[in-house]
Amino acid sequence: MAVIVEVLGWGGKRRQYFKVDADQVSIGRGYDNDIVLSDPHISANHLRLNACGDGWAITDLDSLNGLQVIKNPSTDESIFTSGAEIKLGRTKLRLVAEGYPLEDTKMLHQLERDTSKLNRLSVWLPLMVVVFTTQLMSVYASTLAEWEWKNAIPVIISAQLAIFVGAIFWSQLGRLIRHEAHFLGQYSLILLASLLFIGCSWLLSTLSYNFSSALFGDMVQQLASMGILLLLLSANLALATNLSTRARWSSSAVFVGVVMIIGSAGQMKSWGEFSPFPQYSSTLEPPALLAVKGQTSEEFLADIDPLFQQADRAALEK
Amino acid sequence: MVRMAFIFILAWSSSICAQNDIARDLFADYKSAVLQIRIIDLTSGSKSAIGSGFPVNESGLIATNYHVIQLAASEPKQYRIEYLTETNKIGKLELVDVDVINDLALVEAVDFEGQFMQLATQEPEIGMPVYALGNPLDLGLTVVPGTYNGIYRASYHPRVHFTGSLNPGMSGGPTMDRQGQVVGINVATAGNQVSFLVPVSRLQVLVSDYRTRGAAIDNMQLRIGEQLMADQREKFSSLFARNWQAISLGEAQVLDELAPFVKCWGGSNSSDDKAQFLSADRSCRSEDNIYMTSTFATGILEYQFIWLEADKLNSWQFYNYYERLFGDFVPGNRADEEDVTGFQCDHGFTQGASGRQSKNVFCLRAYKDYPKLYDILFLQGSVDDKESALISHFTLAGVSKENGLAFTRKFMEVSQWQ
Repeated sequence: MAVIVEVLGWGGKRRQYFKVDADQVSIGRGYDNDIVLSDPHISANHLRLNACGDGWAITDLDSLNGLQVIKNPSTDESIFTSGAEIKLGRTKLRLVAEGYPLEDTKMLHQLERDTSKLNRLSVWLPLMVVVFTTQLMSVYASTLAEWEWKNAIPVIISAQLAIFVGAIFWSQLGRLIRHEAHFLGQYSLILLASLLFIGCSWLLSTLSYNFSSALFGDMVQQLASMGILLLLLSANLALATNLSTRARWSSSAVFVGVVMIIGSAGQMKSWGEFSPFPQYSSTLEPPALLAVKGQTSEEFLADIDPLFQQADRAALEK
Repeated sequence: MVRMAFIFILAWSSSICAQNDIARDLFADYKSAVLQIRIIDLTSGSKSAIGSGFPVNESGLIATNYHVIQLAASEPKQYRIEYLTETNKIGKLELVDVDVINDLALVEAVDFEGQFMQLATQEPEIGMPVYALGNPLDLGLTVVPGTYNGIYRASYHPRVHFTGSLNPGMSGGPTMDRQGQVVGINVATAGNQVSFLVPVSRLQVLVSDYRTRGAAIDNMQLRIGEQLMADQREKFSSLFARNWQAISLGEAQVLDELAPFVKCWGGSNSSDDKAQFLSADRSCRSEDNIYMTSTFATGILEYQFIWLEADKLNSWQFYNYYERLFGDFVPGNRADEEDVTGFQCDHGFTQGASGRQSKNVFCLRAYKDYPKLYDILFLQGSVDDKESALISHFTLAGVSKENGLAFTRKFMEVSQWQ
């Protein structure tokens, strides 16, 4: 009867297995064993398994650290049946027969399949061109002196370099964990996220400009960028690691949460702090982006009234 | 941007000699009537501020500047007021009344014996020699000869322009004519022999008010609040009664000098060859800071217009620059957390009579000690032209709601870009 010896890792997951088709199997650190393990706490010839009915009998070969039984489904203590778990030194082993039941096969998550599609030059190149052009345009729009490439290039290069380093990091992580780098895929993901970020903040600032509403203010902008970061991280993890969907989203969420806490801790000092200067929204956009029609000055002044009452209340709080 | 004039000092020894004789006599005659006023911190027992003062009647009523005794007026539990005579006699003073608008205060000594000074009933002619007395920098009593140059017209609150050097510590001291009559109270200096006095007529009003009332003011805070309220009421009703003239800036019409006490300055970048855009500005301001505390001033009125043209910039670049400029406005008066609330702002678009669209920002902060008084900052920027823009701004410090809104309404009417 064939015996399968599984070396268990963290959380009881299989890390390695040996399949030996013999009635007698020896386990130890020495090379003369059928199953060779590297744990230094295991003796050179640690134990021997002998097939016995529908299980195995274990003989300890005078090992230094002995044997610890963790679990044994068999009713007979001297016989270990399929599914029994033992510990030699610091190594956990499970003994199973060929017919041992498996967990159901998991379906590949949609995101994993979609992100894999990004790992193509035909995706990366157009994205790269769009991001590059957007950046160039934004640098151009904020230039007030005569246009000089030498001023624009360092700005663009440094931003592109940051994206590139990010892509390298994730692809190396992927190579390490999944033996798949997905360099262009990771690169495309970060490019996509930065486009999403630019588009989102532009949209929000245009909305806040038109409607002078706190609804689209800094708070929402920050939430939106955190949302984008969450999406990006989760997608990066999907490409680079074998984490389950839940683990991936939760670890991304934890990271984003930490970023938010650190960010708000930095701002906490200025909360409720007095400023002798007015904090007003100074956003001004070209006429093409103005969609609303102005009030009359009388209507505007009528709306000011509550501001006086608000200030009076604040003055009394002292 | 104070234009400076250089004065060459030639030999005019004879007149200097004559002046010196009078200065010597006045000093000898009145040295016992000029006191050092000291504000003593009760915790440390040391002086926190010094100035000068002088008795105006036989019963020991002493005039000085509000800013000299301000600490004691604001924190009576923390400070007391003392005088020190030329013969080193120290006595206690009680605060009786103040006039923050004109930076005057009356204090009273309980058992004061000594000389008092006569207040002049007539204003001297321009060019007359006058003599300021006081304790500059705690150096001891000093006499400073100078020239009376009349009431300075560019100030809403009347101030005498005194050509002579006033220094810190002389505040609250008298400036006398040759006959030894007080013509003004030393108050401020702009350096280079340009100094200012409060006209003695203001002190006469304060003294006669006190005589009629016959008692010291109990609630100083209430008194100051009433003075600020009355002053702004008067100032704005006189401003509203004026004809608000417009003057052109770029293609727009903007508010000209509103009154003689509002001074305007302007500039542009048109001589800059490398400039990518055109900008021209006009800034107007009244020099009427009312001193409240070392961290709080009120009473100013300032307005400003900036005309911008894109020139070589495209509209995105132009609006980028315009936005940066628009975000840069701060009020011209200083104030601290103890004095005012934080600013609260409202934003909105308006459409003027000519159909032009503008973004408006209206910010205000309330005074904590003086109810119903506010600092208002208003900002308007045109938003419907791709290649040119007009920014209009004003700050009013220490204004009531009614006057603030009325000023805004009129300001929006007069400053227009058709």
